[in-house]
Amino acid sequence: MEKELQSILERAKLGAKAVATRADLEAFKARLVGPNGELTRLMKGMADVPKEEKPEVGRRLNEGKKELESLFSGLLEGIELNESAARLGPPVDPSLPSPDGGPGSQHPLAQVREEICSVFRKVGFSVVEGPEVETEYYCFDALNTPSDHPARDLQDTYYLPESARFGNVSKKETERYLLRTHTSSVQIRHMLKTPPPVRVISPGRCFRRDTADATHSANFHQIEGLYVDEDVSVKDLKALLDYFIRTLLGKDARTRFRPHFFPYTEPSFEVDFSSSHLEKLGTDWIEIAGCGIVHPAVFDAVGYDREKYSGFAFGMGIERIAMILFGIDDIRYFYQNDIRFLQQFAR
Amino acid sequence: MKLSTQWLKQYVDLDQSPEAIEEALTLIGFEVEGKRHTGLPELPGVVVGEVLASEPHPNADRLSVCRVSIGPGEEQREIVCGASNYKVGDRVPVALPGAVLPGDFKIKSSKLRGVRSEGMMCSGKELGVTDDAEGLLILEDRPEVGTPINDVFAGGDVVYDVEVTPNRPDCLSHLGMARELAAYFGQALNYPSLTHALSPEEETTRGRLLDDVTVEAETDCPLYMAYMVTGVRVAPSPEWLKRALRSIGLRPINNVVDITNYVLHELGQPLHAFDAAKIGGRNLVVRHAREGEKIVTLDDKERELAKSMMVIADSAEPLVVAGVMGSVDAEVDESSTDIVLESAYFRPGSIRRTSRRLGLSSDSSYRFERGVDPRGVKYAAQRALDLILEIAGGRIEAGEIQVGEEPVFEQEIELDFDFVRRRCGFEIGDETIQAVLESLELTVARHETRDMGYRWVVRVPSFRSDLEEPIDLVEEVVRIHGTDKIPESPVRCTGLEGEDDFQVVFNRKAAEYLVGRHFNECFNYSFRSEAELNKWFSRAGADSLKLSNPLSSDQSHLRWSLIPGLLDVLVLNRRRKTGGVRFFERGKCFREVEGEVMETNAVSFVIFNPGDLRFWKTREPADFFTAKNIVFHLARLAGFDLGAERIEAVPMCDSAWQEGHSAKVGDISRGLETRMGMLNFALLKEYDLDGTVICGILEILPEKLEFVPPRPVFRPFSLYPAAERDIALYVPREEMAETVRIKLEEIGRKATGDVFVLEEVVLFDVYEGKGVPEDRKSLAFSLSFRANDRTLAEDEVNAAFNKIQEDVSNDTEYRIRK
Repeated sequence: MEKELQSILERAKLGAKAVATRADLEAFKARLVGPNGELTRLMKGMADVPKEEKPEVGRRLNEGKKELESLFSGLLEGIELNESAARLGPPVDPSLPSPDGGPGSQHPLAQVREEICSVFRKVGFSVVEGPEVETEYYCFDALNTPSDHPARDLQDTYYLPESARFGNVSKKETERYLLRTHTSSVQIRHMLKTPPPVRVISPGRCFRRDTADATHSANFHQIEGLYVDEDVSVKDLKALLDYFIRTLLGKDARTRFRPHFFPYTEPSFEVDFSSSHLEKLGTDWIEIAGCGIVHPAVFDAVGYDREKYSGFAFGMGIERIAMILFGIDDIRYFYQNDIRFLQQFAR
Repeated sequence: MKLSTQWLKQYVDLDQSPEAIEEALTLIGFEVEGKRHTGLPELPGVVVGEVLASEPHPNADRLSVCRVSIGPGEEQREIVCGASNYKVGDRVPVALPGAVLPGDFKIKSSKLRGVRSEGMMCSGKELGVTDDAEGLLILEDRPEVGTPINDVFAGGDVVYDVEVTPNRPDCLSHLGMARELAAYFGQALNYPSLTHALSPEEETTRGRLLDDVTVEAETDCPLYMAYMVTGVRVAPSPEWLKRALRSIGLRPINNVVDITNYVLHELGQPLHAFDAAKIGGRNLVVRHAREGEKIVTLDDKERELAKSMMVIADSAEPLVVAGVMGSVDAEVDESSTDIVLESAYFRPGSIRRTSRRLGLSSDSSYRFERGVDPRGVKYAAQRALDLILEIAGGRIEAGEIQVGEEPVFEQEIELDFDFVRRRCGFEIGDETIQAVLESLELTVARHETRDMGYRWVVRVPSFRSDLEEPIDLVEEVVRIHGTDKIPESPVRCTGLEGEDDFQVVFNRKAAEYLVGRHFNECFNYSFRSEAELNKWFSRAGADSLKLSNPLSSDQSHLRWSLIPGLLDVLVLNRRRKTGGVRFFERGKCFREVEGEVMETNAVSFVIFNPGDLRFWKTREPADFFTAKNIVFHLARLAGFDLGAERIEAVPMCDSAWQEGHSAKVGDISRGLETRMGMLNFALLKEYDLDGTVICGILEILPEKLEFVPPRPVFRPFSLYPAAERDIALYVPREEMAETVRIKLEEIGRKATGDVFVLEEVVLFDVYEGKGVPEDRKSLAFSLSFRANDRTLAEDEVNAAFNKIQEDVSNDTEYRIRK
């Protein structure tokens, strides 16, 4: 009996190797444990086993049966895995390209804007927004710009018709609506609703009535910063812009402050920078920002105490900085949106 | 503005190199936009020499060997020479070893055919002063031997093109800029001196050339002065004057006109010279033009004048557009003998308006509109008269005629020197502050105060009307003291409350999300054309978005949507065959709502499904539901759950969308609006896009983004399994699935009561066609029930589900599919 059982099990193990499909498995099972199966037959022979041997033989037969069952379930698992794999079809060629689209990209101007914002966030600035349609008050009057200043000319600034009514851009009085020429207007709106101290930057789109060429665009982007506190000085202004320019352009970058004129700051400066990066371009200094100590008249306009507080403001063109950082030689690339351009900045 | 170094040197001793002067100009606030060398460049090492002897070269027929003296105390030099146009005793330019001639030609001591030559005798061409390369430049005037050649040819000049900011009209002249440079370099400023003093007593004899000068436009012309000179010889100007004018790009005309131009660029005060014989009626009137009055200005253009413009007229007609340009009729020319010289103060605003309106800007209007020095009016006239008498001769008649008064300029600023130091943020001594201010011709006085202290009072000269308050003086100190003295320091950074505006945060998240979904961000112009607007909207609603002064008709209106720009991008990329199909943009758009325009914060995207896509493996093309998914997700980033809003078809007036494959949620009048789906095929045809375009728009009024999103609060959830039941309903074909789902949810909530909850009703099948009654469709939903505290029993779920089925049958027009 024992010998026979061993032989069945051994043959079963050998036979299992030939089982590849569910049908094979069924036939294989029938051959062993079916009504006429080899093990079934052996079990039927239990009747002839002497009584005293029955328990031991019965135990052995049961063990044998369990062994076969585990063999069957192992075979079934294998068959199922093979079936799943077969449903996948032939193996993939991993070198084939994915049909799911390439990487997306943020526009280089958006990236530079974000990078600049990050640099200032680290030293406590937060980012504020304001409307692109503005009024003469917020864009000029409150910024100490005389009423006959050339910047207000129809030739330089886009206006909306006298009849234009804007639902969500507030006017001071009956002044005209225009498209903001700088984001300094956001500073006015911010100061009017926030008491000092203030530390904000306002990035955004601005408009000037320029015919498009390699360096001009009728709409462009600026970032303006404003810092108001007690006893803020020219030295603090230089410290911040030095920090900014070194963070953006490398530790070896240097700045140069050139006195300039803006109606809303006094003293006013244009800031040039110089770095090893520029030597390749064959130039010493490149203008990067305008800045100055906020004119007391601006504080008067927003109701800040001009005796107690002082502050500085600065502004820079995002296009210009992007052109310097990426080595782009024509501003019009930014507004064509050729994907071969956009994708160069995917990261 | 053009600045000649030679000219500047008349007022200040500039021995600095052109580079140092350029840097100085830049650092005190006058950006140098260009720098040009004219005439003989600086040529150190080139001096006047005299040929003492000349002998043939021993080894070359065409060369000779000269002995040359280069000055007393200097050793005579032996120089090999190839020219033959000189003779012994001639004086010629000699370039000594070490000199560098134009074209980077370095002179060395070297052997020529075996004879050492210690320098080179030069031709005019080699020096760059003439074109003559044939022989040596013989210096016929026989200048002293040893004189540097630059002293012989004084024409060498460096001309700077500087930007003068609008607050500094005083620097629109050589004297003004000389004052700045003198202050910066710590040198003295020399005003031109006047020789022909005018005696006001002579005024009584007035009237020889003019009977009268009247000013009718006294507001715009507070001061008008006229001088009469008889017996003038009008002729070409002397060389120095021509050279000065040419150096800054002006064309010499005749001595009188040139002098007025010279004084304008010297002192910044525009002048005008009339030919007295051409003044009709012996009268000059400063008045406003008559509407439609005509004048032919010196640029030979006939111009029609308007009432707001000021003219200088004789008794018949205007002779000059005041402060802007004269007419051809009253010009001083070779035939003139008697002239009237005008010097006046015109109000800046008046001249500016006239100049803009005529589209005519001149050196004169440029200065008047920025403001000339009121106290300089008379001085400039005297300076010009001086030059006229010196150069053109003549006699001043009848002293001066003055109409009006010099505008009063009195400016005293009390300055706390500590205030200067506080605003600068670094130490500057009292003496330095005082010295800087005085170098700019400000008067600084120290007054003792009663409490034993003192205060500083600064008196501002009449040409510096830009200086009004203490902070203006701080700038002067920083500027002249030098911005390079601002010390470096760490960033002042204290903690400050304040977060980025949520609008900023949302826009950033939106971009990150779309980039993650393979979109490429675009920046398009904010302007669109009227034609396009009309094409997109069947109604005419364009006027409210129109600019009053567009640059061109294709950029005449504010954009109302980002989609047209994005379509342009698809077209460009399609034409260029770049393969780009997914783009998005963030930006402000402008929407008309009940007669008012609202500025909106918009995000939009487009996906192009090309009709001719070829790829080894294709996905299902993006469709309405792609757009819906993205739009809803974007709205969530902005804090809005669109699932709770009604979704509806895009209104017919917006003809850009494909009917049946597009929808909108919200309305901008309530603060938020979205549109999503497929663009209209007819529209795509116009853009020549062969395929489908799926797109989405999310627009939010900025004021709706002025909030801080609340921090989420944790809600516990059941840990027991859900029980699920399916139900299929026949509903009217046009019924929206979401309407049915909501109704089912309501019924279900009622059926479960408070005992447990109907957690979710999810649609999983939509079917119409065979087996479904006409005009109906079948919607199948899965309902999941759950309790917080236990596993639900079969029978309680069944009871609830039966109740739901009953209620659906009784209370709705839906039929349950068995």
